[in-house]
This record gives sequence, C-alpha cells and structure tokens, in this order.
Amino acid sequence: MSLNLESVSLKLDNRQILKDVSLEINEGEIVSVIGPNGAGKSTLLNVLTGDINPDSGEISYDNKQLKQISIQERAFTRSVMSQMQTLVFNFSVKDVIEMGWLQRGNSDFSNNFSMAFENVTKECNVHNLIHRKFNSLSGGEQRRVHFARTLLQLWRPSESNDPRYLLLDEPTANLDLSSEMLLMNILKKRASLNVGILVILHDLNLASHFADKIAIIKDGEIMAFGEPEKIMEDAFLTSIYEVPIKVKHDPLRVHYY
Amino acid sequence: MISRALSLKSSITEFISSKQLLILFLLCIFTFLSIFIAIGTGSYDLSVINFLLGKTSGLQNIVLLEIRVPRVILSAIVGASLGIAGAALQGLFRNPLADPGLIGVSAGAALGATTIIVIGANFFPNLYLGSFLLPVAAISGACFVIFMLYVLTKGFGYQGVTYMLLVGIAVNAIAGVGIGILTYISSDAELRSLTFWTMGSFGGVTWPLLVPAIIIIFISLVFLIPNARKLDLLQLGEPEAYRLGIDVQRVKLSIIFTSASAVGASVALSGMIGFVGLVVPHLVRLIGGVNHKYLLPGSALMGACLMIIADLFSRILLQPAEIPVGLITSAIGSPFFLWLIFRMKRL
Repeated sequence: MSLNLESVSLKLDNRQILKDVSLEINEGEIVSVIGPNGAGKSTLLNVLTGDINPDSGEISYDNKQLKQISIQERAFTRSVMSQMQTLVFNFSVKDVIEMGWLQRGNSDFSNNFSMAFENVTKECNVHNLIHRKFNSLSGGEQRRVHFARTLLQLWRPSESNDPRYLLLDEPTANLDLSSEMLLMNILKKRASLNVGILVILHDLNLASHFADKIAIIKDGEIMAFGEPEKIMEDAFLTSIYEVPIKVKHDPLRVHYY
Repeated sequence: MISRALSLKSSITEFISSKQLLILFLLCIFTFLSIFIAIGTGSYDLSVINFLLGKTSGLQNIVLLEIRVPRVILSAIVGASLGIAGAALQGLFRNPLADPGLIGVSAGAALGATTIIVIGANFFPNLYLGSFLLPVAAISGACFVIFMLYVLTKGFGYQGVTYMLLVGIAVNAIAGVGIGILTYISSDAELRSLTFWTMGSFGGVTWPLLVPAIIIIFISLVFLIPNARKLDLLQLGEPEAYRLGIDVQRVKLSIIFTSASAVGASVALSGMIGFVGLVVPHLVRLIGGVNHKYLLPGSALMGACLMIIADLFSRILLQPAEIPVGLITSAIGSPFFLWLIFRMKRL
C-alpha cells in the first residue's frame, strides 16, 4: 500500500511550479522533503492532499486515483498539518483538537472518542492546555495543538488496518527543542504503526536522522530521492543550497557553518 | 436497535458541553416565559390564565388569538431567524461583525419586498398569492446581496473585517437608492407600508401573512442547524475544512441560501430590524462558548427571547401609542456595535 505521485506537473500564473514530479510514500515509511525556499515543497503537498489539481500526472492512494476518492473518504485516508491557521473566534483548545475527530456514524467511532482524545492530548503534551483559549497560546503551543488535531484525525479502532497517511508542512517551525523531539518521535512511532508519512523539513540533520527516505526538490524538480546515507553528499547539497556544506558519515551529520 | 439509539444520543451531545446544554435549556425556559408574559401584557388588559380556564369574553378571545398571539409568534420567529442567520453568517465569513443588516442582506431583502409592494400589486392582485410572493421577493433580494458579497470578496476570502463592512455600506446605499426611487413613484397607500419597512414593526400581522413565513423560516432553521459542525471546521480556513472532509462549496451555498431565506422571510413581514443578528450571537458566545453546535440554537433562542421583550417594550412604553421595534433594537445595538469596534481595535 502506498501513496504515489506520477510525473505531476503544475503551472500557476505562467510559472512552472512542479516539473514532472514522481514520488512514492510506502506505508510505515517517513519521507522527508527538503529544499530551498520557493522550491515547490508546499505546492507539492497541496497537490498530494487534493487542494490543487495538477495540469498533468496522476496522484493515487493505494492504487486508487485521488479523483475517484470522495472528499469525506480522503479525510479518513490522509491527515494534513499545514503551516499556520489563525482563528477569529475564541475557541478553546479542546474545541480545536475535537475538530480533528471525524464522524463515521458507527459506534466504534462515537464510543471511543474520550479515550482517543485523552491519548492524543497526553502524547502531544497538550493535556494541561485543553481548557485554555487557543488564541492565548504561544506559537509553539498552537502548533502542538494542531499536531494533536492532525493525529486525532487518523484515529482508528485498534483492529483496523486501513492504510493511513500523514502529511506535514514544516511541523517543527516555532517549536522548542523538546517539542521538536517529541513531535519527531511521535512521527517515528506512527510510522512503526504503519502510517505513511511525508514531512517537509528545513533542518537537514533532523531529516537525515529521522527520515527513511529524503526527496530533495529545487525549482519544482526532484533532484534526488532515496535513503539519506546515499543522497546526502557535499558537492550535491552545496549546489542545491548555494552555501558550502560538509557531510560527515557514521552518524550522518550535515555541517554548514 | 439499542446501539443505534445510543449513537443518536451521543451525536446530539457530542461536541457540546453540559454547561452549554444547561444554558440552552435555560434559554428555552426564558423564551417560553417571555412568550407567556408578552401575550398577557399590552394596552388591552388580558389574562392568559383566565383564557386557558375559559373565563374570557368573546372580544378578549379575538384580541388574544387574532392580534396578540400572532404578533408574539412573529416577533419570536423573526428574532430567532435574525439571531441564527447572524451567527451563521459570522461563522461563514469568519468575521465577528457580519450582521445581516450591516452587510446589506436585510437591505437587499427590503428592496425585493418594496419592489413587490409598489410594482407587484399591479400584476398580482390576488392576496393569498401575494402573501407568498412577498417573502419570495425578499428572499431573492437577500440571496442576490449575498452572492454579490461573494463575488466582491472573492469567494469570502479572508480580506479583513473592514473590507466586508465597506462593501456592506455600498450595498446598503445601492439598495437605499432603489427603495428611494420606489418610494418616489408609490401611491399614498403604498407609501404607508413602505415607511414601515424602514423602521421595522410587528404590528398588523395576520395569520394568512404569518403562516407562509413560519413555514419558510422553520425549514431554513432545520437546514441550518445540521451545518453547525461544518461551520466549526470552516473556522480553520477553507483548505483545512476540505482536508477534514467538508465539501466546502456545498456548505457555503447551503448556508447562504438558508440564512438568506430566514432573513428574507423575516424582513418581508417585519421590515428591517437592525443589530439583532450582531448582538445576539455575541451575547451567546460570551455566556457559553463559540462552537456552532451550541451557538446556532443558542442564538435562535436568545434572538427570539430578546425580540419578544423588545416588542413588548415597543408596545407598552408609550401606551397606547407604539414605538417601532427596529428603533429599540437599533438604540441598544448601535452602542454595542461601537463597543465591539473599540474592543477589536485593542486586540
């Protein structure tokens, strides 16, 4: 079971944003997308979620074309954490996390809500924030709350093994060190539970350490896609980022200052 | 069967706290209480208890059943529909200042209705057809304005609070021109009913006029309330709502059409009553929270309750004369609006 992108191209306002992009995210795998600003990373994610239709190419979840999956069914298959959402009204943290709870109309779902909610809030370390107002939280706390909501959206009864995918756009932005580690370790744990994960990151070391595969994207093209040990290499990264970069192996470390 | 009943119960209480349920329950009681008081109070002395015991005279029965009761029911449903439409539009536009009156929806409805009063009488002399025609014309006017807002704000894209209010001013002005022209060409009799639009009043309502409006408003409330959860998700922004499985375009259309119907039918019967759609949802949010599963029914109940009381005041303050109820709601609502603006500036 996998999430596939096959030679996807997209033009917006006469600018080529994505050029013949192909990518595969298998169940239980963390794929990290890295690249300079404006490379097309977020657009790539928006194409995967179905927000934007590409000009050409195919997107399929488990061999089923995205076009043929209903909007509701998409929400059960993949969960998305985007960069920032602001709220106009004064929702409580609890309200916001609950928004991730999908209603499937069967008792498996309606009966397990409190348990799933409690687990996810503890896991993301937001359980002591749930009675606060969302707008009164710091930027990092707000991210953690959205992350908890994103995870709640993927909840399944334990015996279910429907494929699930988690797509995250720079989830570690604004997070302090401990929250960053917490989040990355939760991703690792979700991957071990067979969730397929695509995560856009800026920190090359974070990507090298946690990702099973890395996709490097520049000017809308995938420049390399594979295991971190194989593709992280001095000259190549230097040409991508246009700053001198040194890579050391065992353990893999990227140095750029 | 049992599990089905269980899941139905949980779907009603899901995403709403026990405190909010209590508030809704209390609002229900207040609404019934105010209906009871409003029916029994007025320039003609009446006792509801005596009526229920059958101790009232024929004249008293007529005053009660043909004048008092329809009037109180009308004020209740108009309050409910303005309150809930305000709450739904604020949620849809993600804008706390969206009010059917301020953004020009009521003005559009009034323009539709005046057109029918002045021009329509020549084409549709039949009275009963007319009583359906008036709300339909008002609803079309309201729908037209919301669609115009939709186009001008590029699909309700988030452009800031002030932008929509400015568009609202323009729309109000355009509708004002239309109503002005119609006023100018109208006859004396038509003029009287036109004046009534600009102020808003619950006087002179009869059952044949009331029933179609009740049907329209009731249907739109029934269609609006199931959208509560979707309105919550829309607060995260449209892309995010879509990612959570919401067919955003469909939800938008359904909310636009139902709130326009509720506002249109209300305006058709009672004229333009300002600020209810603004003040009521804010009060309801203030006492219990912002999630729409609570906010929508809460705004309907609070709107009904406040409108009955406002109408009661309009009847008894200067007995036996009447103050237009729109004057009372505006007198209370406009300072509240100012307060909201100052509060937002501080945020």
